[in-house]
Amino acid sequence: MEAKQKLESLLDELSKANKLPRLSSAAHDVDKVIDVLSEARELIAGAMDPHTASLTMTMLQNPIKFAFGKVNDDLKAASSAHKKVGRSLDKHFPLKQLPTDKDSMDDHLPLINRAIAMHLLREGQFAVASTFINEVQTKHPRAPSAGFDEPMDEDEDEEDDEDHTDADGSPAAHDDDDDDCDLSSLHSQELQDKFAEMYTILQQLKAQNLLPAIEWARSNSAELEARGSNLEFELSKLQYVWLFKGPAVNNLPDDQHNGRSGALAYARQHFGRFQARHLREIQQLASAMVFAPNLPASPYHQTFAISTAFADVAASFTREFCSLLGLSAESPLYLAVTAGALALPRLMKYMLATRSKGTEWTTAQELPFETPLPESMLFHSIFVCPVSKEQTTEDNPPMVIPCGHMLARETLQKLCKGSRFKCPYCPSEGLMRDARRVVL
Amino acid sequence: MADLEAAKINHDNHLLLDQPCLRLPYELLRKNFRSVHYPFEWDSTSVKNVVKDTANGLISGKTSPEDAVKSLDQMLVKMRGLKRKLTAAAEEEDRLYRQMDSRVAHLRELADLNTVDDVRYEAWSRQRLDRLLVDYMLRHGYDSSATALADERGMRDLVDVDTFVAMSKIRKSLEGGSVQEALNWCNENKKELRKMQSNLEFMLRCQQYIEMMRTGSQTKMLEAINHAKKHITPFNDIYPVEVSNMAGLLAYRPDTVLEPYASLYSASRWQKLAETFAEAHLKLLNLPMTPLLHIALSSGLSALKTPACHSTQLQVQPEQPQPANGTTTSSTPTPTATAAPHHHHGTASLTTRVCPICSTELNALARSVRYAHHGKSRLLEHDLVLLPNGRIYGKARLDEYAAKSGLPAGQVRDLVTGEVFGGDEGRKVFVT
Repeated sequence: MEAKQKLESLLDELSKANKLPRLSSAAHDVDKVIDVLSEARELIAGAMDPHTASLTMTMLQNPIKFAFGKVNDDLKAASSAHKKVGRSLDKHFPLKQLPTDKDSMDDHLPLINRAIAMHLLREGQFAVASTFINEVQTKHPRAPSAGFDEPMDEDEDEEDDEDHTDADGSPAAHDDDDDDCDLSSLHSQELQDKFAEMYTILQQLKAQNLLPAIEWARSNSAELEARGSNLEFELSKLQYVWLFKGPAVNNLPDDQHNGRSGALAYARQHFGRFQARHLREIQQLASAMVFAPNLPASPYHQTFAISTAFADVAASFTREFCSLLGLSAESPLYLAVTAGALALPRLMKYMLATRSKGTEWTTAQELPFETPLPESMLFHSIFVCPVSKEQTTEDNPPMVIPCGHMLARETLQKLCKGSRFKCPYCPSEGLMRDARRVVL
Repeated sequence: MADLEAAKINHDNHLLLDQPCLRLPYELLRKNFRSVHYPFEWDSTSVKNVVKDTANGLISGKTSPEDAVKSLDQMLVKMRGLKRKLTAAAEEEDRLYRQMDSRVAHLRELADLNTVDDVRYEAWSRQRLDRLLVDYMLRHGYDSSATALADERGMRDLVDVDTFVAMSKIRKSLEGGSVQEALNWCNENKKELRKMQSNLEFMLRCQQYIEMMRTGSQTKMLEAINHAKKHITPFNDIYPVEVSNMAGLLAYRPDTVLEPYASLYSASRWQKLAETFAEAHLKLLNLPMTPLLHIALSSGLSALKTPACHSTQLQVQPEQPQPANGTTTSSTPTPTATAAPHHHHGTASLTTRVCPICSTELNALARSVRYAHHGKSRLLEHDLVLLPNGRIYGKARLDEYAAKSGLPAGQVRDLVTGEVFGGDEGRKVFVT
């Protein structure tokens, strides 16, 4: 871990910079100059005779020189402290030139602004978001009409027209942007309302009030179900458990709506709709009633351990809420920037290596070097054909052959002798027409 | 495993984006020091000389005691001025050292982490994102947003609001047609600008000349010629073309259509000056020319992007309500996979997370970047099963979804299309 040590010694050295000499001593020592000068002035002004004056002024020369010398030393010390900081930086943290010569993002400022605005909204930074949106709009006031995207779109046109042709080889890219803006343009107010709703519900969840979340899940139950999400049931289940625990745990008023009887009433009222899908779990919840006096020792104690339950449902609530808006649960901007920091060293290494040669060896759509990311940043399965070592794409999709092995279509076409091929991985043979295009 | 390798934090390279964060306080320390060092040298020499001259004058009888008092008063004024400057600089220095401390503490948090899977890494990385956002806003002149965000997050010491606000003030004054602020700045940084061979001051002087010519009045034009003698013609060796253009300008009125004179008179020259200034300013402080967010995004978008993110058949349509196909029980397999539409891979499936590139925020932005290169397959799931409709899922996920949808045993449901199949219709798939 040499790199880590380097960083640590840099940080240590910089922390020590705190005790280095500062400019404040120079500021302090100027007082001496001022004192000496005013003393001389008083003497001469008091006597007003040429002899005293000339004597005082002559005598003044050395103290002045000395006082200035002191200030000069102070300045030197402060300056060498700065230089020490600079040397530490150079030694342990040498400046590496960042790849700024080709800024592909500069052509898409409106899109970046939009992404930032959405990021701020989803983070609940509503005040900052509205300041930002206002500032962007006043800076580019060319389209005073409504909508956050329109001025930005205008802006994009004005910034650089030729860009769109080479953006990805087709002018369609721009048309799509337009569509995007028309269809799902960032109605910031609407989005803000949505996220405000999300934060209110999350706040309630934090305060261990499940009802607003349950209500939201119920009104969106069709979409949630289509996604295969049980959020509504999970929430209702937790509500049952929560009531079951009684006033000692949940601090709700001790009446017939609380405790075991409250839980039972709740179950009667609400669990009916879940019976088709979750019958077994409901049965378990009901049977737990029998074990109520000694729950921790019962087979149900798992279900009733709720230490992390609220945090868990809050996380799945956030995920579902964002998904229904077509957004990922984690901020994409956050993920992209984090991935960017992880991938940047590779990019720089590549740029250094190619600067001398000026060659590229992969297609224009694919990066020419690998940028390994951790598992947590993998969102799609990647299939690389084991024969051609190419990533499958829409034009060269993955195919499954009868023996169950997967290959890229182009590979398969090359392997074909007539309409037959032999699997490169097992002894079996197959026909081209039996190979299936698959979606991973 | 390779994944563990990828999750490891490489401390040597992980702080590439954070270089300016530590460098800038240092550059500002130097700049701050220079701002008092020259005045001190100047003032101290002059005071020493005046003291000597006055003493000599008094001895020779040329100077009266009254004159001596007067010159002492002047020296005192000068010294009190110096004292003020030094005190201000000392305060600024304290602030910069404090800022550096906070930044060192912030980076030390990273030094303590070894992998990106550490929960503390997320907090750190979020703070980095906030820093990059503030940097972006400041560089594009969204000053109030930057200030608001920095204050909201309590990280004023980690970002450089003051430096950039000062820069954007000068920049705006140039955009508004005033050179004075920028000239003052050039004056403060004369030596460094000369060292980096910046043409900013020359350009500003030319603009002054152009503005005088624009008035068309006799006196102003004479003034312009004097101005040129002083500030423009001396640079004939370095900028011969520009100097001769300036000379030629004498013969043309502002409404000329002849180049290059028309563009010299053009108002867009102010915009160019503003950009030249911003560049010189960044270069002087050793800051990267583009916002750090741009760098992070262009590398991050590519690293995350896969061919699937912008595939035409699976276009993201998140705003569309998803058809509630939970009720379909038909088990007719769709003949080809491509005909099976609708939900994007990312948005509709169980337990997989929505891909950031597929998400609306970044989708259009990522369109122009290249997708990541992978040398070998990376699968999110194992024990793959091919359904009759051509779609492949992990067995575990199929079983989970079947259970959640309350299907009878032995049946599975496609996570994207919602079709239901018998469990025995699925085939095992091998990825080598």
